[in-house]
Amino acid sequence: MKFEDETQNLKLRMTIIHGLVFAILVVLGARLYYLQVVNGEYYAERAENQRVRHLRIPAPRGAIFDRNGKLLVDSRSTYNIILSAEDMKGKNLADLVAPLSEGLGVDPDILHERFEQARSQAAFEEITVKEGAGPADLAWVDAHTLEMPMLLVREQPQRRYPDGGVLAHVLGYVGEISPEQLKQPKFKDYADNPYHPGDIVGLEGLEATYDRYLRGKDGYREVEVDSRGRIQRDLALVKPQPGQDLVTTIDLDLQLTAEEQLKNSPTKRGVIVVMNPQNGEILAMASYPTFDPNLFSQRIGTPAGRAEARKLLLDPVFPLYNRAIRGRYPPGSTWKPLMATAGLQQGAITLKNSHLVCGGGITIGNKFTRCMGSHGAPDLRTAIRVSCDAYFYRLGLKMTLDGIEQMVDEFDLNKRTGVDLPHELVSWTPSREFKARFNPRDAEWRDIDTVYASFGQVYDFITPLASLRAHSAVANGGRLYVPHLLLEARPVGEVGPFQERPRQVFAQSEPKILNIPEDQHHLVVDGMWAVVNEAGTGTAARIPGFDVAGKTGTAQVVGLGKDTGKNKDHSWFVSYAPAFNPEVSMIALIENVGFGGKFAAPAVHNVYAAYLREHHPELAPPATAAEQMAKR
Amino acid sequence: MSAILERRWVRDFDWLLLLLAVALSAFGTWMIFNAQPDAPFWKKQVLGLAVSLVVMLAVAFTDYRKLVHIAPAFYIFGLALLVIVLIPHVGLKINGQRCWIGVPGLGQFQPSEFMKIPTVLMLARYFGKPRSAPLTVREMIAGGLILAVPVGLIMLEPDTGQALTYFPLLAVVLFLSSVRMWLVLAALVVGTASVPGMWYVGTHSGLIKNYQQERINVILDPENADRRGFGYHTWQSIVTVGKGGITGSVSKGDASQSKLKFLPEPHTDFIFAVTAENTGFVGCVLLLLAYAVLLTKLIHGARRAPDRTGMLVIMAIVGGLAFQIFINVGMALGILPVIGVPLPLMSAGISAILATFVAIGFAISIRLRRFVN
Repeated sequence: MKFEDETQNLKLRMTIIHGLVFAILVVLGARLYYLQVVNGEYYAERAENQRVRHLRIPAPRGAIFDRNGKLLVDSRSTYNIILSAEDMKGKNLADLVAPLSEGLGVDPDILHERFEQARSQAAFEEITVKEGAGPADLAWVDAHTLEMPMLLVREQPQRRYPDGGVLAHVLGYVGEISPEQLKQPKFKDYADNPYHPGDIVGLEGLEATYDRYLRGKDGYREVEVDSRGRIQRDLALVKPQPGQDLVTTIDLDLQLTAEEQLKNSPTKRGVIVVMNPQNGEILAMASYPTFDPNLFSQRIGTPAGRAEARKLLLDPVFPLYNRAIRGRYPPGSTWKPLMATAGLQQGAITLKNSHLVCGGGITIGNKFTRCMGSHGAPDLRTAIRVSCDAYFYRLGLKMTLDGIEQMVDEFDLNKRTGVDLPHELVSWTPSREFKARFNPRDAEWRDIDTVYASFGQVYDFITPLASLRAHSAVANGGRLYVPHLLLEARPVGEVGPFQERPRQVFAQSEPKILNIPEDQHHLVVDGMWAVVNEAGTGTAARIPGFDVAGKTGTAQVVGLGKDTGKNKDHSWFVSYAPAFNPEVSMIALIENVGFGGKFAAPAVHNVYAAYLREHHPELAPPATAAEQMAKR
Repeated sequence: MSAILERRWVRDFDWLLLLLAVALSAFGTWMIFNAQPDAPFWKKQVLGLAVSLVVMLAVAFTDYRKLVHIAPAFYIFGLALLVIVLIPHVGLKINGQRCWIGVPGLGQFQPSEFMKIPTVLMLARYFGKPRSAPLTVREMIAGGLILAVPVGLIMLEPDTGQALTYFPLLAVVLFLSSVRMWLVLAALVVGTASVPGMWYVGTHSGLIKNYQQERINVILDPENADRRGFGYHTWQSIVTVGKGGITGSVSKGDASQSKLKFLPEPHTDFIFAVTAENTGFVGCVLLLLAYAVLLTKLIHGARRAPDRTGMLVIMAIVGGLAFQIFINVGMALGILPVIGVPLPLMSAGISAILATFVAIGFAISIRLRRFVN
């Protein structure tokens, strides 16, 4: 030192400062070591996560065809405007409602609701602002990329269903998966092709049952983004793998004819199901009134669409119900062929002596229950042909409730048919428990109850499909098939990382064998043939050269003889042809129109005519003038 | 005479110090280029470096004692600039702070950067007389006043970061002017002990603003703090530094954090994070070592200074540089809150690099005159 300062420890003080400087640098170095050497990989990953983003490319959903390759449902491209959640964190969604609703013409209430829903989810990825955006909307988004970089346009394949609600109950519809559904095991445990919020899934009908085939595997565009989410460059592209196309058992021409019958019926309400009794393939399944599935796949996001959906849900005639599997109706006299078959099997009547007294009715205790006519003491064939109620009262009493329950069990009437549609209901069938529940004030089962149960009223509520399935087993000699709508899911080739998806053919299980002896089978079928062809109750269904067998039914709605206008009886007709070698079976129910032979049987006749035009044109009856009009 | 003088100057000139400073600046310019390759900052920095070298040589070959002698003039001139910068339309308001004066053709300059030099000279001048007794209260108050005027003006801009960098200048000068050791220790103890109390009073009285509180909270737990709001800068800087790993990650073809704009202010406040991302642990440690050598050389020069004034000038410069390095790098590493303090010789900014080179010029000038008296 050049200057006199030794007294104040100047050297020491400068050394202290020097030491402090080193200490600072060592602290910084230690922190660097911790960040870069110890945790370097962790932070590298964090940096990677914020710079790389996957933009989903939705996979096209498989199309649905009828058995002849006619297109039923496909998807077309539409554009959705979405908010990327990644760029929205920390920002107030509510501030966007006004500009978005104004710029894109979206109802502010719907935006509020969607934002609220998104907020309640922990890890939402995007919020749909507008579906089916038009060119004007896309231009608006384009013009506002600077102020609103979180707005993105996403191509979204949209389902297109046939117009006029054709086949609506069978096809079902798709919609956005809900947060509740995402938590259900059905959607959660799907490691192979996981569901994400905002995914489109089948919600009803075949769309729901075969979602796993129809759904493709989404691809993605891997991009590098900057801090504001703007794409800088593409890193990778994984193309989506389309879903598998479905080929159904439906015959579109037959379906249209069946729907036509219901549409032209007086009440425009009812069911027609056409099936191949030899294997359970459903050729047509019409339920009326119907609805437009496009409402759910396209318009549900608009206020008008929601009002429409609300109206459908509250409609007293339940257009959303598939009556074939959810409608439970008293079978009326269509119950009788099943009773006859079981009565013979159980020995209540025999081939040699099948006569039972009609007597115009029966007296149980002090109550007289009448028959619709006076048939003397008919044999089984006659009883079926003329639909003698009293005959079956006495047959039921001979079989007893146990015998009827045995029959129900044999024909699986107390089970679901197992058809490949969601939400099938189980029929209600006679039993002591059912009566106790149904009529708790008089809970004991009495003979009069057996009488009611034996002609298809009061204790019998059968879904049309369960009934058709049982009658098809009567027709084919005792094989009970599971009715189904799927023929096959077509294969899809390998795409990028996604493996080939092989063809999936519907696996029909072995039919349940009912052990109906051939001669008994022949007798019942002969009776049903006579219903149509021998001055029976169902002659309206007769087609010369094509041995139609069938049974009419008239289901009481409010009780015997109380035929008031609105609550008229339901009109049934169940049938198959040709009688002794059946290739097609059908059931028709027209609600609240009256006698079965007058409404349901002609409807079935017209469907047969359509069937014959396709399969046996030489037998097809000439189309009536009315039908020709309708076809145009 | 002149030939002898010049030969001696060439021999005694602190070439290593100059080389180190230029190398650091060149390295810094490269990092500025990495941070913002498309922006003009790195070109400006090259220009700034050239200007700085000329000014530095001028300072180095001028007798520092003459400059210290006229220090009050510089000081008053500097204060005038600090006042001018506060005048709307003259002082440019950037990010809510009025710190810059626009100079047509040259860009902007920051008076608060330059003011450090006259402040150091004033302090050295006042405390530079040979002393034989401990510091008096009167001297301490005088030193405090020399500092308080520019700091007060800078707080009006407001630029807390710059204002903070003035305190170590006074602290070092007082420490080396025989302030009693027990006072230093007492100040340290009281200061440390009063932090919680001041925090309580500050947060409850509103003296510490909300965003300042948040910035401090972020340090305690950056991972769980508001990573998209107040914690954004700190979190992104930590990620950028960590991502650099041992040898740097940009060479692997990734787009850098700064290029994708995740890292804010990459060419100024967070230039260290850019360095960390580009050169990794190895590069950062070499940079810190370079600073260590630079500061050691300066302290070495101070020990050999011909008089107390020269020693104080250099040591105040050391204190200022070390403090800025600590604040800036500490901020980039997430151990200190976000305070806008440039990293000496690295951050983009002509004012900052020029001020630093002037300071180094003084150090060289003092060393050149170590044998002359």
